[in-house]
Amino acid sequence: MNGQQEQQERWLSRCLQIGFVLVLLLLWYLGTTYWGISGILLPNPVMVLHDLKEVLGSGEFLPDLEVTLFEVAVAFALSCVSGLALGYLISRSPYLIAVFEPLLSSVYSIPIILFLPLFVLFFGLGPWSKIALGATISFFPIVLNTIAGFGYVDRIFITAARSMGASNAQMFRYVLLPAALPVVLTGLRIGFTIALLAVLGSETIASFAGLGHRIAQLADAMETVRMFAYITFAVAIAAGLNALVSSLERQAKRR
Amino acid sequence: MTIGDVAIRIKDVSHQFGEPGDAQFVRVLQHASLDILRGELVCLIGPSGCGKSTLLNVIGGLIRPSSGTVEVGANLIHGPLPREIAFVFQENALFPWCTIIDNVRLGMVFQGVSKDQHEDRARTSLEAVGLSEFMRYYPEQLSGGMRQRAALARALSLETNILLMDEPFGALDEQTRMILGEDLSVLLARTAKTIVFVTHSLGEAVFLADRVAIFSARPGTIKATIKIDEPHPRKPGFVTTEKFAQLRNQLYGLLHDEIRKGVEFTAVMGPDS
Amino acid sequence: MPDTSSTLIRPLWLMRLTVIAGLLAFWEAAARWWVDPQFLSPPSRVFLSLPSLFDTQGVPAALGIAFCEFAVGFAISAAIGLAVGLAIGLSRLSRRSFMPIILLLYATPQITVLPLFILYFGIGPASKIAFGVSHGIFPIIVTVVAGVQNIRPILIVAARSMGAKRWQIFRWVIFPHMIPSFFAGLRLGMAGVLLGVLLAELYVSTAGIGYFTQMFTESFDPTKLLGLISVLALMAIAFNVALRRAEIHFARWRQN
Repeated sequence: MNGQQEQQERWLSRCLQIGFVLVLLLLWYLGTTYWGISGILLPNPVMVLHDLKEVLGSGEFLPDLEVTLFEVAVAFALSCVSGLALGYLISRSPYLIAVFEPLLSSVYSIPIILFLPLFVLFFGLGPWSKIALGATISFFPIVLNTIAGFGYVDRIFITAARSMGASNAQMFRYVLLPAALPVVLTGLRIGFTIALLAVLGSETIASFAGLGHRIAQLADAMETVRMFAYITFAVAIAAGLNALVSSLERQAKRR
Repeated sequence: MTIGDVAIRIKDVSHQFGEPGDAQFVRVLQHASLDILRGELVCLIGPSGCGKSTLLNVIGGLIRPSSGTVEVGANLIHGPLPREIAFVFQENALFPWCTIIDNVRLGMVFQGVSKDQHEDRARTSLEAVGLSEFMRYYPEQLSGGMRQRAALARALSLETNILLMDEPFGALDEQTRMILGEDLSVLLARTAKTIVFVTHSLGEAVFLADRVAIFSARPGTIKATIKIDEPHPRKPGFVTTEKFAQLRNQLYGLLHDEIRKGVEFTAVMGPDS
Repeated sequence: MPDTSSTLIRPLWLMRLTVIAGLLAFWEAAARWWVDPQFLSPPSRVFLSLPSLFDTQGVPAALGIAFCEFAVGFAISAAIGLAVGLAIGLSRLSRRSFMPIILLLYATPQITVLPLFILYFGIGPASKIAFGVSHGIFPIIVTVVAGVQNIRPILIVAARSMGAKRWQIFRWVIFPHMIPSFFAGLRLGMAGVLLGVLLAELYVSTAGIGYFTQMFTESFDPTKLLGLISVLALMAIAFNVALRRAEIHFARWRQN
């Protein structure tokens, strides 16, 4: 289609998009303000906004945020180190890849959240059960992507380098590493996102601190206004962290 | 540039992939022998699957043959000899994460050339292939023909005596091949390298080579050689001469039956590596 | 490449089995001799006490309900995902308008609204199914839209040149083309539903699976806990295998 039609379509789709979201927000506002939807189930958006400002202003969120960020950081660090190391080692031999990759994929296809109660049994309700679960779940995308990145480097590059006399160290530094990097970085980004989700999830289910726990606690106490505020906050934090990690990945790939 | 004593001695090389009884078993080379003289450009030509690329890899030490030997100068080949032999592959073997000039430099890093020589050698070889302006580009930004020029520059910068080229222009269109062939001839007239060049194209073989070695269908052996007595650099006009046509016809005659056999073989057995 | 295959175990499946057996042996040894029995139970004991697990009052019911929640949740996700995916995917305008919204929702951490789901739908199966559906529909929608969108224009041109009407093009060209993508989406959707249902079950500690995991954890009964987890894991694997079978049967022709 020509330029003008393209422009029109883009404008129209923008309108539909924004219109859709606005209509939803409007319904939310009208529903809670005039149409008598119970404030316990669906709080007034204006009230939620107020409450959010209050939470942010008072710094009440800090202890929970710290706990969550700590858990995510440690979990991710653990899964990174183990995933990268093991992934690289396995990638060195096609036999090992053939043996272990399907095994790892199969384990990854089970919802590993199932093991949370076991980790709670081991480590109690404190941060370490969340860290253990987060590390375990995020280990898999990292190790699988590392195997894929290093294990499937196009043979022609290895052959060419070998024909030019490259040593093993040179092969790793100048051929394997740059070739594997995009895939490995993607694995790390996915691993981070999953670690974050795993930590939030396990906090919601079984914890006495952290953002996930806070939301669950407020739900139990039927304090829906504050709960909505915290949900908004948590979603914003997650979105921010994910955007950060994605942009880091893009930058590292742009070489 | 005069042709001298024996640079590469291929003695009775046979090669097979897999073991008899395997599903993938295939005998690709059978008692191939050839002496290649210093400074000579020899083309290996033959039907698909006849083992010419395999033989090239054996010469370069990338494959250990099932039987037979290859000698380069005083050395018996059993592995890559980066100081003596450089490759240009058909597949794009330029590292996509490096710029063109970095690709050329990297070759020298691998070979072990001292750092102070890198810049000069890289620039010289890129200039020789006509890519000076594109030094800082990435391979994906260049056309197929330019990429193969860059691969050639990388091989040239290694300053080896022997150059092995495996259908380097195979993935390119007819017109680009023509130009690159002419440029290659000019380039090689200046150097005294020994070159082994695998190709499918009859015209290319006659245009470039001092000698053409013709392979039989799989399992391949060197059936015959034709001498092309024409001084280098070959002029573009050579292609239109009577002599060229005669040589090309001669080549065609020797090859045709083998190509038929090769095609029938693959039609029955199915395409294999 | 050096031929080391003669020194290694072929076939591969045997090697993998050996690895699994080795891990089980390690677990057995660790649980018996190195770790406090309050925290870990060896696989032999877990396996042998499965009957007593099933005898525990309420456990079979909880497992049965969880199974139904998976199945129903998956069916609903597939239906809604397909419907919404087609609705959005068939028109370029709706794709451009609504896909960004879908993708945004897909990317939000839904776990944060789990307590909200429980608040709305109660602690019974409805909330578990709803949460499962909410996880399952998005990958299905995305892949259905992609499947519809990816069709090579030449195929539609060819159909039209042979006189096909709009609904015929949909029925005979677009829909079949979309099926492999749909199944790929179903696989992701299945994982989503499993995750959603399990999260919801584990969260609700007053009934269902969550009740028993909490009970076994608090009474330091790793045997029963591991037993429960194993049964649920097997259920998840069974669902995946069933889906894989269905996929092979229905999507026999594959694109690239």
